Amino acid sequence: MYSRPSWLGLVVRHVLIWIGVIYALFPVLWILSASFNPTNNLLDQRLFPANPTLDHYRRLFTDPAVPFPRWILNTLIVSGTTAVITVFLCALGAYAFSRFRFRGRRAGLLSLLLVQMFPQMLAMVAIYLLLIRIKEIVPWLGYNTHPGLIMVYLGGAMGFNTWFMKGYFDTIPRSVEESALVDGATPFQAFLRIVLPLARPILAVVLIIQFITTYSEYVLASILLKGTDMYTLAVGLRFFIQAAYDRRWGAFSAAAILGALLILAIFLPLQKLIISGLTGGAVKE
Amino acid sequence: MNGGSLLAQGLKYGLVALLDAVVVWAAMALLLRGDYLMVALLGVAALLLNFLVLSRRAYPLRFLLPGLVFLVAMVVYPIGYTISVSLTNLQTGNLLTKAQVIAQLEGRYYLPPAPETFTFWAFRNAQGDLRVILTARDGRTFISRGNELVPVDLSGPRYVRGAGGTVTGFDGYTRLTLPEIYQSLRALEGLDLVLGDEHVRLTSVREFGTYLRKYSYVPDQDAVVDLETNVTYYAREGSFTSPDGMRIEPGFQIYVGFRNYLDVLTHPGIRSDFARVFGWTVVWSFLTVFFSFWVGLGLAYLLNDPYVRGRFAYRSLLIVPYAMPAFISALVWAGLFNADLGVINRILGELFGTKVRWLQDPMWARAALIFINVWLTYPYMMIVSLGALQSVSREMYEAARVDGATGWQRFWTITMPLLWVSVAPLLIGSFAFTFNNFTIIWLVTAGRPAVLGAATPAGATDILISWTYRLAFEGDRGNQLGLASAVSILIFIIIAAISGVNFRFTRALEDVSRGV
Amino acid sequence: MRKLLWVAVAMVGLAAFAQAPKLVIWADDTRAPVLRDLAVTFKAQTGVAIEVMEIAFDQLRGQFITAAPTGQGPDILVGAHDWVGELAANGLLEPVNFGPKLAEFSAVAVQAFSYGGKNYGVPQGTENIAIIYNKKLVPQPPRTWDELLVLARQITDPTKPMYALVFQNGPDPYHWFPMLSACGGYVFGTNRDGSLNPCDVGLASAGAIHGAKLFADMIAEGLLPAGVGWDTMRALFFGGNAAMVISGPWLVADTKAAGIDYGIAPIPAITCPNGALGTPRPFIGVQGFMVNSFSKNKVLAFDFLLNYIATTDTMLALYNRNPRPPAHLPTFALVASDPDIAAFGTQGAFGIPMPNIPEMASVWGAWADAQSLIANGQATPEEALKEAVAKIKAALKCK
Repeated sequence: MYSRPSWLGLVVRHVLIWIGVIYALFPVLWILSASFNPTNNLLDQRLFPANPTLDHYRRLFTDPAVPFPRWILNTLIVSGTTAVITVFLCALGAYAFSRFRFRGRRAGLLSLLLVQMFPQMLAMVAIYLLLIRIKEIVPWLGYNTHPGLIMVYLGGAMGFNTWFMKGYFDTIPRSVEESALVDGATPFQAFLRIVLPLARPILAVVLIIQFITTYSEYVLASILLKGTDMYTLAVGLRFFIQAAYDRRWGAFSAAAILGALLILAIFLPLQKLIISGLTGGAVKE
Repeated sequence: MNGGSLLAQGLKYGLVALLDAVVVWAAMALLLRGDYLMVALLGVAALLLNFLVLSRRAYPLRFLLPGLVFLVAMVVYPIGYTISVSLTNLQTGNLLTKAQVIAQLEGRYYLPPAPETFTFWAFRNAQGDLRVILTARDGRTFISRGNELVPVDLSGPRYVRGAGGTVTGFDGYTRLTLPEIYQSLRALEGLDLVLGDEHVRLTSVREFGTYLRKYSYVPDQDAVVDLETNVTYYAREGSFTSPDGMRIEPGFQIYVGFRNYLDVLTHPGIRSDFARVFGWTVVWSFLTVFFSFWVGLGLAYLLNDPYVRGRFAYRSLLIVPYAMPAFISALVWAGLFNADLGVINRILGELFGTKVRWLQDPMWARAALIFINVWLTYPYMMIVSLGALQSVSREMYEAARVDGATGWQRFWTITMPLLWVSVAPLLIGSFAFTFNNFTIIWLVTAGRPAVLGAATPAGATDILISWTYRLAFEGDRGNQLGLASAVSILIFIIIAAISGVNFRFTRALEDVSRGV
Repeated sequence: MRKLLWVAVAMVGLAAFAQAPKLVIWADDTRAPVLRDLAVTFKAQTGVAIEVMEIAFDQLRGQFITAAPTGQGPDILVGAHDWVGELAANGLLEPVNFGPKLAEFSAVAVQAFSYGGKNYGVPQGTENIAIIYNKKLVPQPPRTWDELLVLARQITDPTKPMYALVFQNGPDPYHWFPMLSACGGYVFGTNRDGSLNPCDVGLASAGAIHGAKLFADMIAEGLLPAGVGWDTMRALFFGGNAAMVISGPWLVADTKAAGIDYGIAPIPAITCPNGALGTPRPFIGVQGFMVNSFSKNKVLAFDFLLNYIATTDTMLALYNRNPRPPAHLPTFALVASDPDIAAFGTQGAFGIPMPNIPEMASVWGAWADAQSLIANGQATPEEALKEAVAKIKAALKCK
């Protein structure tokens, strides 16, 4: 797909990328600055605060009222589980939509996308009531539990991701599974052993997207989790600025920066998976 | 599909049988709780499950069902809930159900003309039965017998006396200490004793007091009688209302049919502001998706290029906006765009000696919003494009050898059409998401700058959802949830219609599975 | 069979009934730690456990409304007096019977928590805004708005930036109200019985328009930066770019931490159209404890509030955690000598409790729109405020 660019072309590419990087990081500088600012200022007139301090970072790991490591752990559990299950369930659904022809297929595809477009203004009340009910029957799956929250996220994750994967599966020639089917494999086996490995890039993409979406989800988590020990990072973050007039932006920014570093740490190895679809041959020309 | 071995078949049916057994058990538990809706849902789910496993035609559904379960529970059910709320008068003052309101009113008491208070001793026997002895101010004593209070003479030998002449027990009952009283407060609070025509209830940890019941519900008139004034309040329009129009707070929820929809559709202000708000909503969604897609795709394309060094580091830096909480980013951006104090204007001032009234001028406020939202959205597009490009590269391998087209031509004739297959539905989805992205509007401009002469609180940057939020939550006494639900559904109809057109236009629903 | 099952269910229910009571309290981070300490004492004395849930202040009200009717709400909610109208109209609050304890509370604070003739909260602390100034930049704060304008013309320099006065106005009617109220502007008028009349909206009265004009002129002249939010205001004040701000006790702790030598003074008086000096009247906010009408432990909850919360020990602990003038008079007496409390109190003596009726929901948005139109110069104060009042009345379906 790519040919070796000229010297000038390479420079142009790097310049374009750097414009992107500056655009991406420009406001983040202020968040970084706030995380070192002792006065809890978010919009300081100076980018380099007077008397920069590491106190906010220190506090995250020492203040017993702020179980930051716990929040990170909770986030990893909730987002990680949600992302992994999402990938598997959506791949299953996408495979069915891509490979089988059945009645209601088009209608199903269409409604899958449409239900995701519904304005969610009241969804949280409904979900809250539902989880309270579930808690009365199955305590570990209801209100104020991580499995319950994961379940809620899974519901919201199905639509777009299934579509996206279906599009990718469509581009994988059916011939690759056909030999397996002829050899007596069930479609499920063909899906598991042949299609999934080929779809690695898209699985990785959905994994990271779902991880980040869940990681930053705040509204539902704040309603469905009670008590600081249960919080995910997104809910915990708001904890710092909950009071209208006592916003501890320093700690908020420090936690946000650390959280972002966590995302980057996860994204870095996943990139390799995403790019793995690029076979060696495609590079040469 | 192959039949599979006998063992597998047996296992399959065994599992189904087991699941059905669990369902039956759960249904019984639910039936006892009177939770008929859940029973119905469970029944439907169970039937579906059996159909799936036992019917050959349902084979594809087996792949879909696991995801479908969550989708139905967490997305479709809330939609149903919203529809049901949209048919009610749910709002401030009409939050509780009628049964809850009646229970609350029947629990209300008022003080009789000559109220009395009593100190009390509480007693419990080995069976856990609770009884109290009350002492009035004037020294009269009463003992509870069932729900009744009867005068009692404590001087008899039945009553065991302790230090200071207090009664410590009788008939196998022993007196509760103060901590024990605290432990039993729920039960004591539940006592509703009758003394003559007055009621006697626990009023504090140390006292009982006389009360009279304030309200009584009369089912066959569907009315509440105020026993103090003898006025009857009939259930009307979600409140108990007296013949001369006085209402008892709180009111209750009732179904009002399509009234909320009619209110929206016939509201004179809504009709006059709709076109402007709708126009901006469409522009906002389209431009956000347009720019964030091209920025994201452009960067993905550049960063997919094996000849660009540092790709891994660049990609990570470029997803940073996606990894920051939007809440703080939006506030920082709003600060940077501040006309008097923001950095952006300071830079512009240094460079061009001019200032832009970013968030105060309608056009510039819109531009700033789109700029910010593109920043928030492009990393998603970049990651998605990065994934989609992988499917392209595979095809590329074959196609590129065939013709000697230039890079630019190849991009348009081969890359884009292929990319489109998997990305088009996501763009439509993203459009719909932006269409309803209340949060970002609210954080950055809250719909402002305001528009003078607007018939409703519709600001220059209000999108449909934020405008209707204001109508529903900044009108009347706030929290008009019934109205808000009706509006959500109308907006859903609009966005579904637009998406339908988009589907036609982009052919996203067509099966482009070439190479099959 | 069915009968048997019912018996089993009934027995389980009875067991729950006999269970030891437990008080659940929802509070924000400024009160939760104090309440947790108190819970230990309460448990020791009564054997009853208290569970304190810490919830963000801006989430408390909404979550309470969702949770209370389902039986999942707390027994006690700690919040602001202006929630009372909505919560009580929804039937979610239990009236408080203070008994003899009533005399221990500030009458204004108790009044702030009353709705429809009943008291719905045990008040804890009051708050209002005033001028907080940087002594290095203004040794003596101006006493009238005219003096303020003189000072502003001397020291304002947008390029530095440097401003004499900054307050949240981006838009923010709460911080704007003192300017409008100085010469007689008001939100809701009162009925004869002292209750608020939601159809008498005084935001476009002559006094309000006068104050709004002053605001518009200052912005037009460049003396007041527009579009300022909380974070910008703080940054300017702490950075020495603003000599004075209009803010409340919540800013004080950080002002100290930022090393600012500060003072607190009344908001400068405004010369009204009739020539008299009008004193700006800020909103007063009161925070306190409310009892859920769905609580199964009401007697216990009130016992806790009146005998454990309404003590100088607890009130002082709450004060120390978050210094605001206590509504509990014996506690107020103990801290009245604090200069900050006294200074905020001087302004607060002229304050007006923020309306607590649910109709207030219709006011904020329209009012804020008017402020932004005026600040942007898109409308004259008169146009903007009249339109706001028309919109408020339409939203409230007033004739």
